[in-house]
Amino acid sequence: MAALESRHATARRLLRPEVLAGLKNLDLVARSVVEGFLIGLHRSPFFGFSQEFAEYRAYAEGDDPRFIDWNVYARTERTYIKRFLGDTNSHLMILLDASASMGFGGPPVSKLRYAQFLAASLAYLASRQHDAVGCMVFDEEIRDFRAPSSRAGKLHGVMHSIDRAAPGTGTRYGRPFEKFREQISRRGLVAVISDFYCDTESLLRGVRPLAWQGQDVVLFHVLDRQELDPDFKSNVLLEDVETGEAVEVAPAFMANEYRERIRDHVRSIATAAAGTGADHVLVNTSDGLDVALRNYLLFRQRRQ
Amino acid sequence: MGWLAPLFLFAALTVALPIWLHRLKTKSSDRQPFSSAMLLETTEQQVHVQKKLKYLLLLALRVALLLLLALAFAKPFLERSPAAIADAGAGTHLIVLDTSVSMGRSGVFEQGREEVRRAIDDAPAGAVIQLIAADGVMRLVRPASTDKPAQRTAVSSLSPTSGRLDFGQLMAEIERYASSLPAPRTLHLISDFQASAMPVQFADVIPAGVASFVPHVVGTGDPVNWSIAFVRQTADGIDVSVRNEGLLDRTVDVQLRINGERAGVKSATGQGEYLLRFTELDFAEGDNRITVTLDTDDDLDADNQWHAVVSNDPPLPVPLLTAEPSGLPVTYLSAALASLTDANFEVEPLEIGDFDPRVLSRYRWAIIDDVGAVDPLLARQLDELITAGFSLLVFTGDRSIERDTLPVSGHQLRAAGIGSGKFLAIGRFDAQHPALSATEGWHRIHVSRTTAIELDADDEVLMRLENGEPFMLEQRRGDGRLLLVLSAIDNSWNDLPVHPVFVGFMIEVAQYLSGRDSTADQYTIGDVLPLSKTGSASGQIIDPDGNSVLDLADTREAQAIRLDIPGIYAVYTAQGEALVAANIDPRESELGRISQSVLDRWRDATYSKDQAVARDTVNADSDPVALWPWLLLLLAVVAIAESALGNVHLAMRT
Repeated sequence: MAALESRHATARRLLRPEVLAGLKNLDLVARSVVEGFLIGLHRSPFFGFSQEFAEYRAYAEGDDPRFIDWNVYARTERTYIKRFLGDTNSHLMILLDASASMGFGGPPVSKLRYAQFLAASLAYLASRQHDAVGCMVFDEEIRDFRAPSSRAGKLHGVMHSIDRAAPGTGTRYGRPFEKFREQISRRGLVAVISDFYCDTESLLRGVRPLAWQGQDVVLFHVLDRQELDPDFKSNVLLEDVETGEAVEVAPAFMANEYRERIRDHVRSIATAAAGTGADHVLVNTSDGLDVALRNYLLFRQRRQ
Repeated sequence: MGWLAPLFLFAALTVALPIWLHRLKTKSSDRQPFSSAMLLETTEQQVHVQKKLKYLLLLALRVALLLLLALAFAKPFLERSPAAIADAGAGTHLIVLDTSVSMGRSGVFEQGREEVRRAIDDAPAGAVIQLIAADGVMRLVRPASTDKPAQRTAVSSLSPTSGRLDFGQLMAEIERYASSLPAPRTLHLISDFQASAMPVQFADVIPAGVASFVPHVVGTGDPVNWSIAFVRQTADGIDVSVRNEGLLDRTVDVQLRINGERAGVKSATGQGEYLLRFTELDFAEGDNRITVTLDTDDDLDADNQWHAVVSNDPPLPVPLLTAEPSGLPVTYLSAALASLTDANFEVEPLEIGDFDPRVLSRYRWAIIDDVGAVDPLLARQLDELITAGFSLLVFTGDRSIERDTLPVSGHQLRAAGIGSGKFLAIGRFDAQHPALSATEGWHRIHVSRTTAIELDADDEVLMRLENGEPFMLEQRRGDGRLLLVLSAIDNSWNDLPVHPVFVGFMIEVAQYLSGRDSTADQYTIGDVLPLSKTGSASGQIIDPDGNSVLDLADTREAQAIRLDIPGIYAVYTAQGEALVAANIDPRESELGRISQSVLDRWRDATYSKDQAVARDTVNADSDPVALWPWLLLLLAVVAIAESALGNVHLAMRT
């Protein structure tokens, strides 16, 4: 029992961003996060998200031959597909915002680095669920794109694309999302990871067509603690990392009016997302990754 | 507007410091990157602008603080304009009349008085007028006032004197005095402007503090003047030098009087200088009053008479007290004093123990070649004589070193001086002492033997050997003095008697101890006659008019008097009676004027100097308005405002 508690504690610790910041290999980060997360899910209400056997069904054309149970074939000379409870035979497309504003935050990690942890963890988790995983890194343009694939070697490419993302310029959802729609016609899950510093109309112009296309969209709204709960002791001149605009603010303003404004902004993004049928998950970079992953699984469960 | 300390204005450059600091603050202070200004815009922009304006106000206050500080230290002042000064008063007119000898020419001084009156009349109403008479000294005729009639009246009291005017000396005194009078100051100089009155440096005639110089030249024309350059005694009689400054050939009769008696007349004619010799003259014993008179109708009478004193004293006997009247010391001393032609001293050897000491009272001074030979009785009598004013030159010798105490001087002898076979040079001596001041070559003297003594507190050591041992000293007792040489007048003790310095030394000592050199006998009007040159107490002086110069108190205290009257003065001191002659300065007889171009330059330079002084300095009389107190007040206000505003900013940050 004590050993089990110790294992849980280690798993929880591995979900903390400050611990993950010490790991350079994103594959290792994703693995650590997901494994730790799954340990936390032990006997949890989220039944079906493990590799628990569900049923056999006859192989049909188009099924992945990797899932044929060859032991049954040896005994019966018939091909059956082994199905598991978490197996949805879907695909997950991760849209990672690598604009300049995502470079803000920390320590221990910036918003972009946290988003990279999240994206890698989602990709790894989806891979474990036998989902095809792809990714798109964008700012004002598409900077990297990996089409969804469930092949084992493809996950490594996705991880590499996520890992090499670096803060770029501004954010624009319209054009990258339009190109994404042109590339992806099959329905699936779309996880958009961004800080969403834009007006809701501009966001809706990007997300609404995805919903119309039948994609299930979840918006991971990543914000740093300093953005959500700023703590300035004196007047400070804040410079927008994307536009260079400098604004001097007083501590009183940041403690009161700004907080209200950011809450309103988050609320408006969530409302806009709900209006298009998308989910909205607010992620604080000072929180562990399990919160985001749990929200993702809930979202996935609802969409099944 | 002007500055008293304009260099402090460089301190204003320190305003760069707050400007730089504020720039630094604006650029780097609290500037942080932020993910987006989307939610910060509009209202916070106003805050920034407002803050920036506040910072600019703070910067302005700090810059003003430093500027005011620099300005206050530079001491600005507002100077009143010349027009304002002119309105405030008509200033001062210093009217100086030359009263020197040369102004005594026929009609010239009256012309000068008229010029003075005209200058008084022409002075603007309300102007302060200071009337000054100047010859060798500057005299204020009346107190400065605006009362023109009173000043005019005072002019009549002026007359030529026997003094000599030097323009450089006059302007220096004017400069010192004028600063106490209201500005602007105008200097009128009424003079014949002799070229001989100009100083060596032209700059010395440019007085500071005088706004304008107005020369009034009187006595124009070509003067004719005979004058006496000098009168001197020769072996044959008296030489008189006369010269004619004028262009006309006129004859002059030169008359010589001795003690009021006509002794001869000679004539000279034409231009130039003549040397007239009067021989076969009959002088009385002692000092003779010589008067040379020029009988001519030239323009200046004041320089037609010259006074001189010619001595015809018999040789003054000097007793030489010796144990060996035929010894070397007697020879050396007699030969040295015999070489003195002017003073006529004659050595009379007296063998110690073979004369009546009471005869010494007939002499002024005496010499002892070896004080060791003096017996106690003679020593006591000599001591009494010295206290009464007698003087002694005393040497030591072989007999002296046999005594425990030196007779007469009373010094205790020490074991020994320097020993035989060792020579020491003279180290240092008092070159200011009357007995040594005119002698040279002491460092070439070598001394092999001295008499070592214990010095008394009242001994004045005049000469030491190179090892510091005293060689010559002086004791003063009462009115007399004792000069003690701690070696023998013998070439076995030192080589002093065979050196030329010995003759000079003996001449100086003879004049010093006899008191013959207590007064010189030729002076110029304006000179100071020292009464205590030899350290003796003052006495009485009878001027050429027969009046006593000193009152009763001064007869004991006065040290010098100024000679103002040409003629012969009788000087009575403790050393006896002496006559001195005072004549006008021969330069007053040179009547050539300075040129008009020099006068113009003098006038222009005076104006330029005054303008330069007015630009460079603050003339107290111009009553400038000092601005620095107001700047300090403003500085205090700005400092308070800066502190208050800075405190507000500090509160906003915390």
